[in-house]
Amino acid sequence: MRRRALTATMIIAGIALMVIGYFASAPWGADVVRDSDPRFGFAPTVFVLGVVVAFSSALVYELLPDKKKGR
Amino acid sequence: MAKYAMVVDLERCQGCRACMEACKIENNTSEAMFWMYVFRFEEGVYPDTRMSFLPRPCQHCDNAPCVKVCPTGARFKRDDGIVLTDSDRCIGCRYCELACPYGVNYFNWQKPNDAYYSDAIDWSDPDIQEVTLGAIPPYKNPALDERWGSEQRRTAGGGHAKGVMEKCTFCVQRVEQGLQPACVETCPVTALRFGDVEDPDTPISRFIRERETWHLLEETGTEPSVFYVGGKPPSQQYREVERPKARV
Amino acid sequence: MATTTINTPQPLPQGVGRLGPAWIAFVVGALIVTGWGLFAYVRELSDGMIATGMRNVGTMGGASWGLYITMVVYFIGVSFAGITVAALIRVLRLDHLRPIARFAELLTVVALILGGLSIIIDLGQPVRGVINLFRYARPQSPFFGTFSLVIAGYLFASLVYLYLGARRDAAILAKRPSRLQWFHRLWAAGYTDTDEERARHRRATFWLALSIIPLLIIAHSTLGFVFGLQVGRPGWYGTLQAPAFVALAGVSGIGHLIVLAAIVGRVIHDRERIGMDIFAWLGRLLMILLFAYLYFMTVELLTLIYATPEVEKQLSDALLLGQYASVYWGSVALLAIPAALLAWQALNRRWRVSWLVASGLAVNLAAIGKRYLIVVPSQTHGTLLPYETGSYSPSWVEYSVVLGIFALGSLMVGLFFKAFPALPLSEEEEREVLANA
Repeated sequence: MRRRALTATMIIAGIALMVIGYFASAPWGADVVRDSDPRFGFAPTVFVLGVVVAFSSALVYELLPDKKKGR
Repeated sequence: MAKYAMVVDLERCQGCRACMEACKIENNTSEAMFWMYVFRFEEGVYPDTRMSFLPRPCQHCDNAPCVKVCPTGARFKRDDGIVLTDSDRCIGCRYCELACPYGVNYFNWQKPNDAYYSDAIDWSDPDIQEVTLGAIPPYKNPALDERWGSEQRRTAGGGHAKGVMEKCTFCVQRVEQGLQPACVETCPVTALRFGDVEDPDTPISRFIRERETWHLLEETGTEPSVFYVGGKPPSQQYREVERPKARV
Repeated sequence: MATTTINTPQPLPQGVGRLGPAWIAFVVGALIVTGWGLFAYVRELSDGMIATGMRNVGTMGGASWGLYITMVVYFIGVSFAGITVAALIRVLRLDHLRPIARFAELLTVVALILGGLSIIIDLGQPVRGVINLFRYARPQSPFFGTFSLVIAGYLFASLVYLYLGARRDAAILAKRPSRLQWFHRLWAAGYTDTDEERARHRRATFWLALSIIPLLIIAHSTLGFVFGLQVGRPGWYGTLQAPAFVALAGVSGIGHLIVLAAIVGRVIHDRERIGMDIFAWLGRLLMILLFAYLYFMTVELLTLIYATPEVEKQLSDALLLGQYASVYWGSVALLAIPAALLAWQALNRRWRVSWLVASGLAVNLAAIGKRYLIVVPSQTHGTLLPYETGSYSPSWVEYSVVLGIFALGSLMVGLFFKAFPALPLSEEEEREVLANA
């Protein structure tokens, strides 16, 4: 259960980061040609981080050790 | 806020290329870089040929493809319509150059040689020193290195540096000081006009109202800030003649 | 790291950890070529990009994007194959193709790394490029997709897929004492091969595969958009650019995969594992993609020569009859002949590895040619203002750097195969390893 919850959280967090990163770098609602800067520094990194976090969820899903040791 | 534009009067242009010279001196550009370029065209078959001229500065488009494609926002458009290159941010991918239909971008393929005009002259010669008062070119306009406008960003006017892009700045360093761009100032026949088109009472606004104007490559949807008067758009049948040495 | 060599009576399977003279010669050769490429790149860095054959479009009469961008597009295209095949195997349950899945994924990872490198060497300010892309990259620029989805997303997802898929084998190998035991143990990361873990792995890779397939279409399309969205450059602007990019990416990728499969089969002397059924499947896939691309190409060609604006005509003349005609028709031949060859084999239901490998090599040459023809002629012959036509030919620096990149890629593949089995362990190999544990 813990494993699934963590994986789902990571996927959601990754997508959220991608959305934030995208809208922070894209000038929606501003003049397209003029405003060329992201809304905060390194916003594109947030997008890339989102992609990485979302795909890392697969790693967590498989690598997370079971709670009770031994078998 | 002003909105700057340029008018090129092709009925007046005689193809003397003084604007190109003025641009190179004002902006200290390197060899084979023509921020302002004047085409000399020939059309027809001998003996029925016709010459025509077409000055081509950066068009400072309102819908600038170079600004759109720049991956880092180094190419930017100011509120007054001038399109500039932040030479501190440019990564040298040259995408702007390929997006631009006018071919106005110049990449610094090598370390800019500021002194290429003056290499042939012995500046220690006393006769020459009499004229130059001891100054050794390249003279570099300190205004080029300043940061202008509310953005306080570099404009590639002075930032000639290896591996970054540069192009016509409408002489932002002069415009900010209330002067005309060097090419406009120099033109002996007033074929070039420059000014604020947002204010309807400026000479350039009146000129544009009174005359029929057209834009270069209107079909690409770039909405240029450079207006052409007289003449006609160049066709692919035109042949370029008398090209300057343009290859580094 | 334990460097004490243990005399293993039985070596690890598939030549892992054994450094034969042929392999060492290969590595030394690859290192020399890589070093030469590095030397050329240092020249480019110190002299500026004047060392390349590229010059400005327009008055300078050159091409501002040349061989490097051609290789970026080509390498990212090649990366298509690996992960597609691996994902298709998983999603469509093509279990008989399992043996090629791992090196297919490796091909993707290596090709993407090489593609990223090719972008960096093409920048005038490489260091600033790496920093500023993370700092300021703008989604309005078609480059954003290449940077964020292709290099970051696609590469990372492929690495995760490669890593997870090989964990079981790593766990088995880690039970055997060898010089590489630490590496295999690290890779296995506590995998114990319980039923639960197997089920979990199946679920994880299924969803990964499912999410990678759309990502892959998007990623290759964004690369097409880099060209297809530019109205100012005749020959680039067009809706067909993105789908044609995806198709040609598939062609070059699968072609590459066939060649690699033949090499792996030869090197590890295991013709049975990579059997004819696998080659036949790859051949059929290559044939389908090849016909799809030829269709796109024909449609584009007809549009270009039937009703065409003046500048486009100038460009198509240069392509079909002028300066680029030899590259153009050469590439078309290298696509059409393999297509016919593959169709013949498919109809006869008899496949020959030598013909397949020849086809794979031919379509890759053609892919490089076609990428070159997308990138360069639109710059030298496609200026909307009547500048004089330009010319571009790569300099020795560009050729050397590209060769160096290829050598680096083969070096990475060669090193990987000495640290890890190229094919998933068969049951026999598994038993053999465990018996010696």
